[in-house]
Amino acid sequence: MEAFLAGLQTLFQWQNFLIIPVGLALGIIVGAIPGLTSDLGIILCIPLTYGMEPTMAILMLLAIYCGGTYGGSITAILINTPGTSANAATLFDGYPMTKKGQAYKALSMALFASTIGGLISAFALLFLAPQIAKITLLFGPAEYLALAVFGLSVIAGVSNKSIFKGLIGACIGIFISTIGMDNISGTTRFTFGKINLMSGINLIIALIGLFAISEIMMKSQYNPRTDKKTIDASSITKCKVTREEYKRCRKPIGIGSLIGVIIGATPGTGGGLAAFIAYNQVKQSSKHPETFGEGEIEGVAASESANNGACGATMIPMLTLGVPGDGATAILMGAFMIHGMVPGPMLFRDQGNLLYAIMLGLIVVNIFMYLIGSVFTKFYAHITRIPYEILACVVLTFCTAGAYSTSNSLYDVYIIFVVGVLAYFLRRMDFQLVPILLGIVLGPLAETNFRRALILSDGSLSIFVTRPISLAFLLIAVGSVLLFAIKNHRAKAKEIS
Amino acid sequence: MKLKYNTEIISGIVFLIAAAVLWLLIPSQINTLETTSINAQTVPRIAIGGMLLFSAGLLAQGIFSNPKKEVLITKATFSTESFRRELKSVLYAVILLLYTVVLTYLGFLIATALLVVVILLFYGTRKWYYYAIPLVMVGIVYFIFRTLLHVSLP
Repeated sequence: MEAFLAGLQTLFQWQNFLIIPVGLALGIIVGAIPGLTSDLGIILCIPLTYGMEPTMAILMLLAIYCGGTYGGSITAILINTPGTSANAATLFDGYPMTKKGQAYKALSMALFASTIGGLISAFALLFLAPQIAKITLLFGPAEYLALAVFGLSVIAGVSNKSIFKGLIGACIGIFISTIGMDNISGTTRFTFGKINLMSGINLIIALIGLFAISEIMMKSQYNPRTDKKTIDASSITKCKVTREEYKRCRKPIGIGSLIGVIIGATPGTGGGLAAFIAYNQVKQSSKHPETFGEGEIEGVAASESANNGACGATMIPMLTLGVPGDGATAILMGAFMIHGMVPGPMLFRDQGNLLYAIMLGLIVVNIFMYLIGSVFTKFYAHITRIPYEILACVVLTFCTAGAYSTSNSLYDVYIIFVVGVLAYFLRRMDFQLVPILLGIVLGPLAETNFRRALILSDGSLSIFVTRPISLAFLLIAVGSVLLFAIKNHRAKAKEIS
Repeated sequence: MKLKYNTEIISGIVFLIAAAVLWLLIPSQINTLETTSINAQTVPRIAIGGMLLFSAGLLAQGIFSNPKKEVLITKATFSTESFRRELKSVLYAVILLLYTVVLTYLGFLIATALLVVVILLFYGTRKWYYYAIPLVMVGIVYFIFRTLLHVSLP
């Protein structure tokens, strides 16, 4: 209690309240530019924090992290391109809402859900960190593989038009994720002798190609004279989230935040996986699953609450065990060390007041995020008024610069355009891109843990069904696929009758 | 020439061929020294094998159960509006792929400025400020990435 009060005292200094909005603004900008991630934002700002007090420095970096995760939803909703991989599930319903003229509504809900998810995550970090860390310690390779399979079961929900096309998409994604050097044996795979392919295809690069470039290609037949829509400036912000919609989104936000906290606290997963699983669960439990993917506000609420719900939770294993949950927290861990704090069990004992100041500060970060987001959401929504031909040029410019900046390599720029053109042809063949993305995201997690688990069990597959957590995840995955199949079958039977 | 098809048949054939080629390439592209049954080839084999299996399923679905489109290909087909629209998409893809080549030789600033002009011409844009806005944006992006983010764009 003493450390808690000392933490409050450390937090309530004017400098902290000044630096949080700066960090958030930077994070939102970085997150909203496809190709730039909050990881990059944190790295770039670490040198700026050298002269700052530890609390102030870490709060600024945390603000960039949270702002970046929210910022990625803006482009996912407006131009069908998630700014970061954590926002990929937001485009399922975010972009269809924009197409229906409800961009402002989608952006407002994304902000609200992100804030609630972030707040729940911050409270979980503050009060439940040691308990959650103990649960995640039970996760071994078998559990991680089961978690990845559980994530892949989303495919059944997003490829209801053709399950074969969804499964082919997942195989393509997993295949792409295997390109490059194998992490376990060091063997190169499908690099065709190219050194640039040794490090594989970066997830962000694949995202830009799959969604941004293919979306621009899809509009190649756009005719400004006949297809141009004139949108009245005053009508954009009129379409607000209604009280009934806020009420309807309470459950999706609750499910999303909870899943975000659990998945986020599990090292090596992240907000992207949390958002996919939350979206799938909310869709399944909905009374009207057929509206998901067509511009359903509950879909935006579920995915955004989950990815921001994972933000604070990724700090749990880092602060309690000294194990970073994802790339951003690994960088944050470095920042903690630079400022004289060594994450791990001793941190609570040695520098409890600083730690409580930071954990309480995360709550303030989320409140500020809502305030700043509310002011700017109106401006973001007006992006939909920009003539398409100008928007396409601007998006292409950002995509090229963003892709290049990922690893300062022209190779990544080539990849986004090649992947984009191929993704365009897949879309023309009625393929969904999300299964491919799921394969790319979950492929490495599944492969590494599949191989590790089999090494541990001497090649016996029984390891996946004899461990209770693994078995539970696998059963839920099978159950959710079956549930989708039954629902689809009934819907088809209804259509025929 | 009369053609009966649907997207399942086309994509089924394409992926069946692609997966077969990839399967044959596995030994040469994944030259692993591991002697265990689970090695660096395992997951790529599962992914490519899955692709092979599911594309066969898709092809069967396209042939036996899904409705097919019937197209009569004559000389007139090549002058229809829908063919012209498809050609436009191909041209757009060529522009984007050519941009990557130009980018290598001329650098980001000039190549992207050229791309912007070509895309606006592609859409038949006549207003001067429609050209000015994205061109200024290219300059701003170049400046931000080089000076603020320290990314030395090509």
